[in-house]
Amino acid sequence: MQQEPVVRLQGVSKIISSRSLVSDLTLDISPGQVFGFLGPNGAGKTTTIRMMVGLMSISKGDIFISGHSVKNEFEEAIAQVGAIVENPEMYKFLTGYQNLVHFARMSPGVTKERIAETIERVGLTARIHDKVKTYSLGMRQRLGVAQAILHRPKLLVLDEPTNGLDPQGIRELRDYLRLLTHEEGITVFVSSHLLSEMELMCDTVAIIQNGKLIDVRNLRDEQGSDALIEVAFEVDDAERAVELMEGEAVIQGKVIVLSLSREQIPAVNAKLVREGVQVYAIRSVTRTLEDQFLQVTGGGGIG
Amino acid sequence: MGSFGNLLLNENMKVFRRVRTWIMLAILVLISLLMPVLMREGMGSSDTLFWQPAATTVQIAFFLNTIFCVVIAAETVAGEFTWGTIKLLLIRPWSRSKILASKYLTVVGFSILSTLLVIGMAMLSSYILFSHEVSVDSSIIAADVFTRWGYLYIDLFITLAIAFMVSSVFRSGALAIGLSLFIMFTQNIFSLIFNPDRYEWAKYVLFNNMNLSKYMNSSSDMGLMNGASEGMTLGFSLAVLAAYYVIFMVISWVVFNKRDVAG
Repeated sequence: MQQEPVVRLQGVSKIISSRSLVSDLTLDISPGQVFGFLGPNGAGKTTTIRMMVGLMSISKGDIFISGHSVKNEFEEAIAQVGAIVENPEMYKFLTGYQNLVHFARMSPGVTKERIAETIERVGLTARIHDKVKTYSLGMRQRLGVAQAILHRPKLLVLDEPTNGLDPQGIRELRDYLRLLTHEEGITVFVSSHLLSEMELMCDTVAIIQNGKLIDVRNLRDEQGSDALIEVAFEVDDAERAVELMEGEAVIQGKVIVLSLSREQIPAVNAKLVREGVQVYAIRSVTRTLEDQFLQVTGGGGIG
Repeated sequence: MGSFGNLLLNENMKVFRRVRTWIMLAILVLISLLMPVLMREGMGSSDTLFWQPAATTVQIAFFLNTIFCVVIAAETVAGEFTWGTIKLLLIRPWSRSKILASKYLTVVGFSILSTLLVIGMAMLSSYILFSHEVSVDSSIIAADVFTRWGYLYIDLFITLAIAFMVSSVFRSGALAIGLSLFIMFTQNIFSLIFNPDRYEWAKYVLFNNMNLSKYMNSSSDMGLMNGASEGMTLGFSLAVLAAYYVIFMVISWVVFNKRDVAG
């Protein structure tokens, strides 16, 4: 499936007084997915996002959104984008509705019906005519999402969207993002340092550290049947089990861990049982994104 | 990409949906209405031609008018930064220049509204309380008074430009208000120190070109600072003010367009 990428970063760098915050970032994001942008604090996530939405100038390279250059065709490029950069700050002295009207006026073709529909979508109907200063953080977040999707953008950019939300709010946001990508075909670009959150939310993640892109990986890949996975066998006699496996295993107490393909698991099990080793449990060991992340970034500090 | 009118609507909504704005306008109206009443009480008679109390009222109310307009101008850009809403405002399909233009025009619009309100109320109240017998030189007095008000507004307009520039450059409303008011209250002192009669270059200093009423004949009786210095004419001062104005605007626009929005 070769689709025109929604976002294309080409050798993007941000240099402030000879210190490069982001260096030579090149990345394509294909449409209809939730794309996670992952990195420790100070890695350049927010800087990159601010360059994408035109809040910061791009020192080198360029960013294209639906083929429009953010540098040279800003108005065309940004018309495709809805964003929440850090906390959704709204005009507190206006009502939620007035805030939405404010932003609706700035984008062409947003009708009253669309505003009503969006309010319904984010579930703010009951409180939309109250002043924003009376809103809870969760409600502000919803209003933030509403202003971001009001003009039916192709790309939704969220910077640390789960900051300050309670578990239920995070859960709602996650479900909501999935809904947006699957039903409206919006591409979501979300940055976070919360790994477990990203794991649940994203289809693809890019890992960035010290302003450099380290890795891009697909989290939703169906494991090919020939791919090796780590399998743990809980047995009564780990030493003997390892002997039987000709030393290709790692012992962790009463558990041995083997690298196997899916097809090999029953055979290994049968062999163990045949040789009189008691098998209590077999499970595959999936390494969490957190493990992968720490492995990739080497647990390094801010440099 | 939508109409510029929408941006103006937005900016005006942000000005007029705040209780503060209405309180400021109410205070201006009250002062303009009550000053002539006080003068009437003080004089004990209504013989004076109404133009004079009206002129005095406007002169005094203009201090407050300037302060309030500066508050609006100072908040318009700096406020967006303080509230963090600048991040939502600048990611719309509008260039920064147009957004800043909509803000500036809204500020100027507000200053015109508040000035007309002050003048209108002062005239209304004076007209009711004082004599308005048609004398021969009535139209001359009217022209004189309106010219004076025009000069007052030019001062206000320049002060606003300073407040707007500081607001856009330093993103601090407090600094913008403080600095503009400092300039407003100290211009006479500066004109004393850097007197164009003493220093040749001083006639290009901003302060010496504000307070244009010194070019009016009838103002010679109004205290220390009046009377124009040699080599300075109304046209000269207007040209100098225009030059400063252009500089203030260029600085506002360039800085606002170049600025990286962080934090």
